[in-house]
Amino acid sequence: MIAGIDLGTTNSLIGVYESGFPTLLADPDGNRLTPSVVHYADDGTILVGREARRMEALHPGSTVSSVKRYMGRRFGDEGIEGIEGQKGKPVTLPINGQDLTPEEVSSEILKRLKTIAEERVATPVTRAVITVPAYFNDAQRAATKRAGEMAGFTVERILAEPTAAALAFGLDKLKDRSTVAVYDLGGGTFDLSILRLDEGVFEVLSTQGDTQLGGDDLDEAIAGLIATKAALGEEGDLPPESRIRLREAAREAKELLSTEESLTVRLPFLERSEGSTSLEILLDRKEIEAVCEPIVRRTRSHCLRSLEDAGVKTGDLDQVILVGGSTRMPLVQRVVREVFGKEPDLSLHPDEAVAIGAVLQGAILEGTLRNVALLDVTPLSLGIETFGGLMNVIIPRNTTIPTKAGEMFTNAVAGQSGMTITVLQGEREMAADNWRLGSFKIPFPPAAKGAARVGVQFSLDADGILQVLARDTAAGTEKIVEIKSAVEVSDEAVEAMLAGSLEHAFEDLDARIFTEARLKAEEMLPAVESALGQLAGELPQEEIVQIQKKSSEVTSALQAGETARLKQALTALDQATQTLATKLIEKAMG
Amino acid sequence: MFPLVDPFELLGLRRRPLLSEEEIGSAYRKMAGNLHPDQEGGDEGRFKELGEAAAILRDPARRLRFLSGVRPGSIPPPEAADLFPRVASLTHEADDLLARHATASNPLAKAVLAAPLRKLSADLDLLLMTIGQWQSRLNEHLGILDAGWPDHDPEVVADLADSLSYATRWESQLRERKLALECL
Repeated sequence: MIAGIDLGTTNSLIGVYESGFPTLLADPDGNRLTPSVVHYADDGTILVGREARRMEALHPGSTVSSVKRYMGRRFGDEGIEGIEGQKGKPVTLPINGQDLTPEEVSSEILKRLKTIAEERVATPVTRAVITVPAYFNDAQRAATKRAGEMAGFTVERILAEPTAAALAFGLDKLKDRSTVAVYDLGGGTFDLSILRLDEGVFEVLSTQGDTQLGGDDLDEAIAGLIATKAALGEEGDLPPESRIRLREAAREAKELLSTEESLTVRLPFLERSEGSTSLEILLDRKEIEAVCEPIVRRTRSHCLRSLEDAGVKTGDLDQVILVGGSTRMPLVQRVVREVFGKEPDLSLHPDEAVAIGAVLQGAILEGTLRNVALLDVTPLSLGIETFGGLMNVIIPRNTTIPTKAGEMFTNAVAGQSGMTITVLQGEREMAADNWRLGSFKIPFPPAAKGAARVGVQFSLDADGILQVLARDTAAGTEKIVEIKSAVEVSDEAVEAMLAGSLEHAFEDLDARIFTEARLKAEEMLPAVESALGQLAGELPQEEIVQIQKKSSEVTSALQAGETARLKQALTALDQATQTLATKLIEKAMG
Repeated sequence: MFPLVDPFELLGLRRRPLLSEEEIGSAYRKMAGNLHPDQEGGDEGRFKELGEAAAILRDPARRLRFLSGVRPGSIPPPEAADLFPRVASLTHEADDLLARHATASNPLAKAVLAAPLRKLSADLDLLLMTIGQWQSRLNEHLGILDAGWPDHDPEVVADLADSLSYATRWESQLRERKLALECL
């Protein structure tokens, strides 16, 4: 028996294939959703799920939620905030004096799911399919697989969430030929995949996403709104317990305002840095939509890119399927309607579809579910760093997996014994802008210049995890090269970065503020000049004179090197040019 | 690097310069559904070979080169040589403007870029149209070549393969920038 697991940012689920049907399993209290929260009690007890969530507001320091955001990531990465650590090292979470890896924390959730399943089916459940966001990279997928193994599972497959949802959607429509988009906005991640369903073959054509965009961000925005309305000041200034209560209230408001038009948020005795306050404010849907809309809009570019990569036009899509808890928001549905120009399909259960798909994939692997095949893709290009510091793509994004591709290397000098290859994953042209998976050394047999021939082959398995083979074509030998994790090889780079940040720490604070103001002035002055040029003859002389006066004040403050005066002058220039930006855009749009 | 297997034979397709995406896709999907390692009787090694073969056939330049054995030339065909400076300078300009837009931190600095970005979008459309016309001409050549196949002049085929390869690459580079503009 192979269980299917959706290891979510907010909630997790487990299910099995029973007598021809995918079934999701409930805990003894009848809940199929297990909150992805882990609490580490002082006495060593570990609580998972609802019990852990109840502990969160009381013991925020020993409770972990949304651990998925940290999987396979390093300190200093984008989106890794609120925890401290040496830049470039894998993220660890300080809990009760111990540094826990995100894999360890995730494995507690998985162990809990395993117990739920074993109690229900009354046999050991040791094999599993675990879902991940489609846009997870190699490190994030490998970390998820390790978490599964730590929980005692043989991980039979790492499956992309939108692909799983498509399987749940299309299983009773196997005879159809159709092209669908799956819009998956979960608690912490966003994916958009386009698939072709044809005679039982589910072929992913393209996938795009953001592994740091989800319902958590919406909660944060709403919490900020509540804090502003209640004049609590900066959310970050509140004690951690209060921040968690505020976040919970925000999540509740978000969920209720999906069906209600307005509600009252009540938070009695909310601790502040000085004393406590009882908060009661009215919130309506329009207000929360206003703060959430910019976040939801960030999904648009991924939708457009995915369509472009798939070579599909919105008109070619038969369905746009919504999954993930956040798609319950009317705002999200509105944005989807706008981007795709059609009514989204809401027939799938937003929280359960991915787990159902994982169960179905388990049944395919076992051979119980026949005549269905999933052809998934790698979301990110894989390549190597060239001498010029560019990325040379070996396996382009959206290549069907499993796959292999190779490149030949030769020795640049006679008798050279090897060369170091850095493996990259990502879409940027500059090597440094991509994720560095690691490095390895290809050994060269001693030979005259250009005579050695070593082939390097990248091989992606069905989980989307990379293996590198080096083949000595002259000797006919082949071996698996071990990629040293980037963390091990980039120690020097890490030290260099660290040295840089230490230098910063000694910098005079005033100098830093001046530098910031100077950079802003250097951006503003040419922008103002160009704006006046573009709008020549369309502005009243009086306004031009005013703006020029404010500009020259910025210039002289800059030359004088006076911080306070420069900041003041910039604010004045900002105010004087406020209408310019609107006029310029109106003019450009004709 | 040519594969050991013949991609036409592997996918059961006729050995011709002209193959439609539908022909390749449908042959690929049918086999891939059976060969995928998840399936009973599936085979990971053969599935990967199938993927490589389909990738060669889907790329008209690589398909032609495989069929005729010609290699990529070092001197670009005249039409490509004419277009190259336009493609290079426009992609450069686009990257520059997009980078400036991304780093602009206040509304005015972004707003002064509105007019140049709009012009860039029009320039991209124009160049994409030119490349599109070039591609249609190349496809016509491919059709003529296909009609007379297997008779062919290796030099003409080599030029055609190179041209197809440049056209595909440039089209995708320009579309990439166009899309980045639309995503702003």
